[in-house]
Amino acid sequence: MNNTAFFLGKGGVGKTTLSGAFALSLAREGRKVLVASLDPAHNLGDILKTKLSGQPVTIEPNLDALEVDLAYWVNKYLDESRAQMKANYAYNTAFNLDSFFNIMKYSPGTEEYAVLWAIEDIHCRLGPLYDIVVFDTPPTALSLRFLSLPVISGLWVRELRQLREKILSKRQTVARINPESPIAASCVDKDDDKVYGQLKNISQRLSGLEYLFSKESFISVIVNPDQLSVDEALRIQEELSRLEIPISAICINKKGISDMVWGQHPSLDSYPQFDFDFTRDGISSREDLMAVGAEDLAAHFLTRTGKK
Amino acid sequence: MSRRIGQLIKAAIRVVLQVNRDNATDLLEFEVRELENIFSLLVLGGFAGLPSPPSPIAIEILPFMEKELLVLIARTDLAQDPIGVLSGMMDIG
Repeated sequence: MNNTAFFLGKGGVGKTTLSGAFALSLAREGRKVLVASLDPAHNLGDILKTKLSGQPVTIEPNLDALEVDLAYWVNKYLDESRAQMKANYAYNTAFNLDSFFNIMKYSPGTEEYAVLWAIEDIHCRLGPLYDIVVFDTPPTALSLRFLSLPVISGLWVRELRQLREKILSKRQTVARINPESPIAASCVDKDDDKVYGQLKNISQRLSGLEYLFSKESFISVIVNPDQLSVDEALRIQEELSRLEIPISAICINKKGISDMVWGQHPSLDSYPQFDFDFTRDGISSREDLMAVGAEDLAAHFLTRTGKK
Repeated sequence: MSRRIGQLIKAAIRVVLQVNRDNATDLLEFEVRELENIFSLLVLGGFAGLPSPPSPIAIEILPFMEKELLVLIARTDLAQDPIGVLSGMMDIG
């Protein structure tokens, strides 16, 4: 299944406009499309002229949209862990749990994880209901962090699993030699060890997301005809190449915004290029969004993903 | 009488065997506890400033780590005198 598109780029280059125009073009070609905004500062609803929520809202036939509520995902994830801890721990061990979890809301990395689990939910739960899912992403820094999380966290989880396997193997040896030992009473088998099971579960989820990003996604990087957005696109290219996530297209948005002579950077020149003119009158309706002209990009996506 | 003596001998042999088993696994048990301690430190070290996985990963494993947390706390108590613990286990001094 290769039905997911991401639009990345510097803040203000037109990620929301192009993801909206791209989704609308595909929907009007008869594909069932969901466009989801991952940006905490949502404006997908503004551009589609519809109030959006965390659940899909129908914009027009074949096009649904949603705005991921990061606070909801942070709370959901922390509430589930808190409930599990309360169920598994002795009362006195989990005494001040609420204060701990209230602070964890602000822990670095929590928001990026919330984005990841939201993408996983959309991909696994909602993805099968649509032909194509389009993600409008937050500006580069947050996007690159959540794209790299499956790889980085995957390394940690792999090491932790290996250490856990070593512990379980040594516990087994103790249990064989000395069944009366207190260690023999603890869990000795991988299938019964809940910590190992949880590590395996996290590892599988992270691998699934890594596969989604690197093998199943159509990644478009958006630039404007200015040096700053191109410099940022180069940093995105470098980071994605490190993560082995291929770029599928470069979109040059707001062409004609200035008379300055501008040429594409040679490093970005090898990808398929799509030009979008600067819309002087702004976007005030979905017809204006269609007028952006994402049909060629949509056709390239359909050809590339074998859906044409 | 002879039955009672037989039972006593069996019990004595059981005790001797168990003492030998305990001696045989003492070091291994110490190693398991150390590994459990290291595992807990790796998972939860971020909360004390040690390099560790992203805290959301730790939060997902934490609900299943009550025993490891207790080992971590117990090891912290013994951390003042690790040589004493080792030498005690090896009957030195």
